Amino acid sequence: MENLQSEYKPNVFDKVLDKLCLTPMAVVGLIILLVLPYIPPFNQEYLIRWLIAAALMASNSIAFDFTAGYISIVNFGYFAILGLGGYTSAILANNLGISPWIGMFCGAIASGLLGFLTGLLTLRLRGIFAAVMAWFVGLALMGLTTKMVWLTRGPLGLRCPQLFETSSNLPYYYVILFFMFFIYLVTKWAVRTKMGIAFKAIGQNMEAARTSGINPVFYRIANFTLSCALAGFLGGFYAHFYGILTPDVMHTSKTVEVLAVAYIGGRGSLWGGAVVAFPFIIAMEIIRSSLSNLPGLHLVIYGILLICVMIYYSGGFAQFFDTYIRNPKNKALNYFMNGSWESA
Amino acid sequence: MLQTLLKGVFEWLKSAAGITILSSIVLAIVVAMNRGPFILVNVVVMGGIMALIAMGLAMVLGVMNVAQFAHGEYFMVGSLIAYLIFTPMAEYLNQNPSPVLAFLAPLLTIFCALIGGGLAGAITERLIFRELRKRSKENWVMNTFLLTVGISVILINGHQLLFGTDFKGIVRYWSGPPFSFYDMFMSRDRVYTMALAIIIVVCFWLFMSYTRTGRAIRAVSQDEIGALMVGINLDGIMTLTMAIGCALAAVSGGCLLYMYPSYPTVGLEPLYLAWIIVILVGLGNIMGAFVGGFVVALLKVVTVEYVGAGWDFVVPIAIIIIVLIFKPSGIFGTEVRGALDK
Repeated sequence: MENLQSEYKPNVFDKVLDKLCLTPMAVVGLIILLVLPYIPPFNQEYLIRWLIAAALMASNSIAFDFTAGYISIVNFGYFAILGLGGYTSAILANNLGISPWIGMFCGAIASGLLGFLTGLLTLRLRGIFAAVMAWFVGLALMGLTTKMVWLTRGPLGLRCPQLFETSSNLPYYYVILFFMFFIYLVTKWAVRTKMGIAFKAIGQNMEAARTSGINPVFYRIANFTLSCALAGFLGGFYAHFYGILTPDVMHTSKTVEVLAVAYIGGRGSLWGGAVVAFPFIIAMEIIRSSLSNLPGLHLVIYGILLICVMIYYSGGFAQFFDTYIRNPKNKALNYFMNGSWESA
Repeated sequence: MLQTLLKGVFEWLKSAAGITILSSIVLAIVVAMNRGPFILVNVVVMGGIMALIAMGLAMVLGVMNVAQFAHGEYFMVGSLIAYLIFTPMAEYLNQNPSPVLAFLAPLLTIFCALIGGGLAGAITERLIFRELRKRSKENWVMNTFLLTVGISVILINGHQLLFGTDFKGIVRYWSGPPFSFYDMFMSRDRVYTMALAIIIVVCFWLFMSYTRTGRAIRAVSQDEIGALMVGINLDGIMTLTMAIGCALAAVSGGCLLYMYPSYPTVGLEPLYLAWIIVILVGLGNIMGAFVGGFVVALLKVVTVEYVGAGWDFVVPIAIIIIVLIFKPSGIFGTEVRGALDK
């Protein structure tokens, strides 16, 4: 196999795919997502909103998995940090009239900064400290946004300008798809560099990584900061898509949803959560809307799935896919699923 | 003799634990003189209950290495059981009053909450943690944290599905005039539950110190493999630990039913506070958690009194951050947990 690959001269298409970290199958998947809003059952506005929610969840799960799957630290304040990005962007847009597009980046910077500070404080310690402290920081942030009514309007909710003037949801869908892809690329590129190898080493065996001269604190903080910055960026989108922000954005239960999706998708795979998010969120929305007399049922399903995956199949969907589906005998099919290189 | 004793006292006062306890006492006295002694009563009542919750959490963390995120949900389970048992009993007592029964009924209720919580904990351990322990040991603490997140979600939403979201509370456990103490009045519920909390803590301490099982639990917390070698039934100890930890949470839920009515997310606040305490005193330090309960209760009461309600999470969290900067192992943690052991 190794030999074959070195002899094989990749064509331009393969090279581009490799740079984009995609397999042909992933390209097909993306194209399907791109045309999905025009295919009949999905061309209604409310279904497009579900698709947007799913794509947002997919992006979140990628950014979340970048920390959880690689350095084995669960960022429990993920949605609080996302909310900080959203609030930053919304406040900038409301008070200073800064365009939401620039505001998103400011939100990313604010969130990244907070992530950096939290990381600086806690990532020296055991992983559980970082998780719990990120959670506390999230709670404190939520308390602050509820209390600082003069700035955030507290539980009344902060109105924020929309990204687009139209009432249609389609442009948002393409924007979030683009963001999803962008986040996937950023994290995947980060993982492919030397840094990514260090991340993996730290996540798998801290002592061994330290012995080989990796400074775990540095890499952990770098990873955590990047993940938080991406969260803040997505927070900007969240704010300007829904048009209203309440402190509930920062609630832990939202983080739990991302966590469940990321883990069911398969930790450490990045793409697993993104793939699982679409059917999952839509199924959950169907359950929620059709069984509205049983509120909370979909969350019970989340919980049970999370527990089952964690105990019985810790690799999640990605592991299942890699072991059973990904290695077909047929050459064309194999190429279709894996690309010419071991890329995605 | 006296000199060595004094020297020891001074050493202790200079340690982080000494500084914390001393400054808390000073703070308590100053606040009590400024605003009146009712603050002290609030601190003691809240502190006793919070110490119970935090001790359960610390025990589960110290012995099983399980980072319990669902601890607050066992509090909820306890309060729900107490509600379900106490309401019919109160109705019965309304129709045929009897002073002895009226005194005993709440005790029975709280006892049932204790047993129910313990059973729930044991079932959770058997169904979930034992299965996980069989399958993987890697990244154990983090995995258990996530698993308990799942448990928490299931319990919260299960409560919502089965019993609805409305507040299921009672007005009081023990009727009768409040106790007066100097010029303060304390309701009977507060006094009795505080006494109960203290009795439970003492029993717990005696159990851990002087019984064979308690010693076995402590042995497991120190060295799992060593405990296995000397013939301790590890699985049994784990189940028992989880049961006791959850029972402590549930009994606090039962005790506080008159203050916190049972609803799906009632457990979140006790959970946050318990984690704050456990991090503050050092992970897995059970007796430290007892003291920490009072310290955090004091901080919370003082914050509510001077800054306003709603800030009572922000201030303790800020203090924890400061403590973590200077003493990452917590104020009572003796062993320095340097960076990155699992």
